[in-house]
Amino acid sequence: MGLDINTKLAKKNAYRIGKARGEGASRIRVPGGYLKAEILGMVQEIAEKYGNGIVHLTTRQGFEIEGIRLEDMDEINEMLQPIIELLDINQKEPGTGYPASGTRNISACIGNNVCPFANYNTSEFAKRIEKEIFPNDLHFKVALTGCSNDCAKVRMHDFGIIGMTMPQYDPSRCVSCQACVKGCRSLSVDALHMENYKIVRDHEKCIGCGVCITKCPTRALTRSPKKYYKLTLMGRTGKKNPRLGEDFLIWTDEDTIVKIILNTYRFVKEYIDPGAPGGKEHIGYIIDRVGFAEFKRWALEGVELLPETEIRECVYWSGIHFDR
Amino acid sequence: MGYQLEKQTADEIFNCLKQDYDIFAPKLFAGEGCFSDTDVIRYGKVESLDEICWSRRSDYSFKEAFLPVNEVLFYFTEDSTSVPACRKKPALIFLWSCDLHALRRLDAIYLTNGPEDFYYKRLRENARFVLMGCEETCDTGFCVSMGTNCTEDYDLYLKVEGDSVLADLKTGEFQKYFDGKDCREQEVIPDHVTENREKVTLPRNLSTETFSDSVWESYGSRCIGCGRCNFVCPTCTCFTMQDIIYRDNENTGERRRVWASCQVDGYTDIAGGNSFRKNQGERMRFKVMHKIYDFEKRFGFPMCVGCGRCDAVCPEYISYVNIINRLAKEEA
Amino acid sequence: MKNEYIPFSSQVKEIIPHTDIEYTFRMSFPEAGRVKPGQFFEVSIPKYGEAPISVSGIGEDYVDLTIRRVGRVTNKIFQHYVGNTLLMRGPYGNGFDIENFKGKEIVVVAGGTGLSPVKGIVDYFAGRPEEAVSVTLIAGFKSPQDILFRKDFEQWEKRIHVIRTVDSASEGYEGLTGMVTKYIPDLPIADPDNTVFITVGPPVMIKFTIMEILKRGIKEGNIWISHERKMCCGLGKCGHCKMNDTYVCLDGPVFNYAESRDLID
Repeated sequence: MGLDINTKLAKKNAYRIGKARGEGASRIRVPGGYLKAEILGMVQEIAEKYGNGIVHLTTRQGFEIEGIRLEDMDEINEMLQPIIELLDINQKEPGTGYPASGTRNISACIGNNVCPFANYNTSEFAKRIEKEIFPNDLHFKVALTGCSNDCAKVRMHDFGIIGMTMPQYDPSRCVSCQACVKGCRSLSVDALHMENYKIVRDHEKCIGCGVCITKCPTRALTRSPKKYYKLTLMGRTGKKNPRLGEDFLIWTDEDTIVKIILNTYRFVKEYIDPGAPGGKEHIGYIIDRVGFAEFKRWALEGVELLPETEIRECVYWSGIHFDR
Repeated sequence: MGYQLEKQTADEIFNCLKQDYDIFAPKLFAGEGCFSDTDVIRYGKVESLDEICWSRRSDYSFKEAFLPVNEVLFYFTEDSTSVPACRKKPALIFLWSCDLHALRRLDAIYLTNGPEDFYYKRLRENARFVLMGCEETCDTGFCVSMGTNCTEDYDLYLKVEGDSVLADLKTGEFQKYFDGKDCREQEVIPDHVTENREKVTLPRNLSTETFSDSVWESYGSRCIGCGRCNFVCPTCTCFTMQDIIYRDNENTGERRRVWASCQVDGYTDIAGGNSFRKNQGERMRFKVMHKIYDFEKRFGFPMCVGCGRCDAVCPEYISYVNIINRLAKEEA
Repeated sequence: MKNEYIPFSSQVKEIIPHTDIEYTFRMSFPEAGRVKPGQFFEVSIPKYGEAPISVSGIGEDYVDLTIRRVGRVTNKIFQHYVGNTLLMRGPYGNGFDIENFKGKEIVVVAGGTGLSPVKGIVDYFAGRPEEAVSVTLIAGFKSPQDILFRKDFEQWEKRIHVIRTVDSASEGYEGLTGMVTKYIPDLPIADPDNTVFITVGPPVMIKFTIMEILKRGIKEGNIWISHERKMCCGLGKCGHCKMNDTYVCLDGPVFNYAESRDLID
């Protein structure tokens, strides 16, 4: 009997169609790259039972179980169920695997669970976004990083989320040691200086990285109770015009970011090229076509920005143009 | 005089004390730690017994309750100076045994080394001390080794255990707050530890030859000179003076003193460019020798009280405990 | 209770310039009688901070403070002095005890502004040479332009043995050149046990001077030095000047070398 597979549905079900006839890979999404170790055992079991025993760690922090036979997808989907449940992935029908693959896994750096530089819990925020936007067939890439070091390379994503903190300064605890000034100068953007033995912060220059706070030996500098973020837009790789994401909102909050991402889904539905191959057109190219002003109108629908948020009214991307 | 009383009664007493005293105690400053979503425990004014952090040693010591990080010595105009008024109410300071021992070190410097310090004395004379017990040892403390695990020098001892509170009044000053309240007399002995995880042997035959020990070089290359060990220490007292001009009136300003650290650049710099301890190894030697040798030579008891805060705070994981034990071992 | 941190205001009575950057400020101080050479005052202009300055001369109702323009505070003092007052606290420190030097062969070795703290001693014995067996002053300056107390030298040269040298000078300079240490080996010393050395100057100069002095068979107990360290409070509180168990501001700045040789910064 011939192998009769609807590859469109298989791909949507998070399977890759491989180059070897009849073989593929099962893709497991791990929001924020954050998982209980027991899941590793489950992945191992699938890989050894249905795959060739090899697992690829994807660039987006998922697993790809290699060498599975496409006819085994139903059995594999059964075995994926506990993984999907443990990772709390939105699903339409239990036992049927992943309901979509267009919106990619939300990736994140290790964040403030471990890293001293991180300004927030990246995996928690990644999970929140996952819950809000998955499943969806539209091709969206979202990544989160704890601080301006951008270890997660979020500027290569449609939506890049960079953690910020607004330094809080209590001059009565400051001993004028200048550890913050020196730290900001050598590790960050040189936004601090001393005046009258106390610290003055150039808010225009400050990127909210939090280095000054980690350097302060007396807790004169502390983090703002509110966590802030920088939202960068439309970074991407690709054949036509790879580009770095550009700043859109600075000193924004989680709710705003979630709303803007959801609004962008509506924008894409409205403007996506109906003839796009595989229903897949990069958001950046859509914005190039319809204009940033129109995108912004959609993105900010129903959004109330924080008073302290800085917004870039016009955003231009450059990048490398292979298509001109 | 020892008492057992209900928590509710203790709360009432606390509220009365609040009328007469500014009460300082270790408390949790949520989210104000060094790293994201970490807390810091340091001293602040407290409004209730529940606000006090009883069981976890504070990251910063009690000293800031009367040695402010920044203290104005006087304000000046073109031709006059004026000294800021003292706190109106006396201070009631909650602390642990090690810290109460540290008080004696602060007194040695501020009250007996040269003339009495006007600012210290006026706060000190108006400070009363409430001992908090230690049911178990903290992680890095070595109070037993330093003999600072017990103390009798408190004015009041308080222990909150669920709905029950134990109190011991060492001085008569607080009797009136307990009189007429529903209290049961009983003997109260403050909780104290008799063993720490960390144990320290003070080297007993230190000499100036210790000054050239290779220990200092090896640790010096790791130290980043941030001064945290000094700022958290209950016995470090150094300060630097600063003159400030007010921006909107250049003829007025203030002279203040600000905590200083012997580990931070600038501590020994003099006008004209000389500096006496340039590398971190020398600075560490200076600090450690002061804590375990020089101070004792001058005042008759070691400076260090073994609270262990310096080991807990060092971002480079330099262990002062280990340095001392290494010196002792090399001496043996 | 006395608040030691509050300075008093003192009138500038006279200014004696020595070099472009070194002036002596004659400051009114009614209690000058209790001031000893080698002691120091904390001198300030409010808003700019304090600086410890050695007493370089003591009159009936004044003290001389020789100030070198090297920092923020001293810069301001130079800009603001005319017809003005300075704020002062002090005197602080132990100072030199003249009694230790009477009836001895006295050699004073001073470098640069290090001459200030010992100038009172030179003045004393230049005025009463009969109270000592002999008095020699070896004073070193960087260059002829840096020479301090020129008028005083004229007086001293008449009454005591003065060796005034400069580290280096352009051609044609007629005075002595070379480091102060150069002149120690050939000093006439009759009785090493009855000879006292007093040396003040930069730490490196003190170190090499003492090496030369010891070579002359002088006992450590007959050598006196004055240490310059960072001093903020002058009251034994701020900690900056501490060496071992010693506070330079309280126990010094004058030390007997035998008792202070083991002090390490």
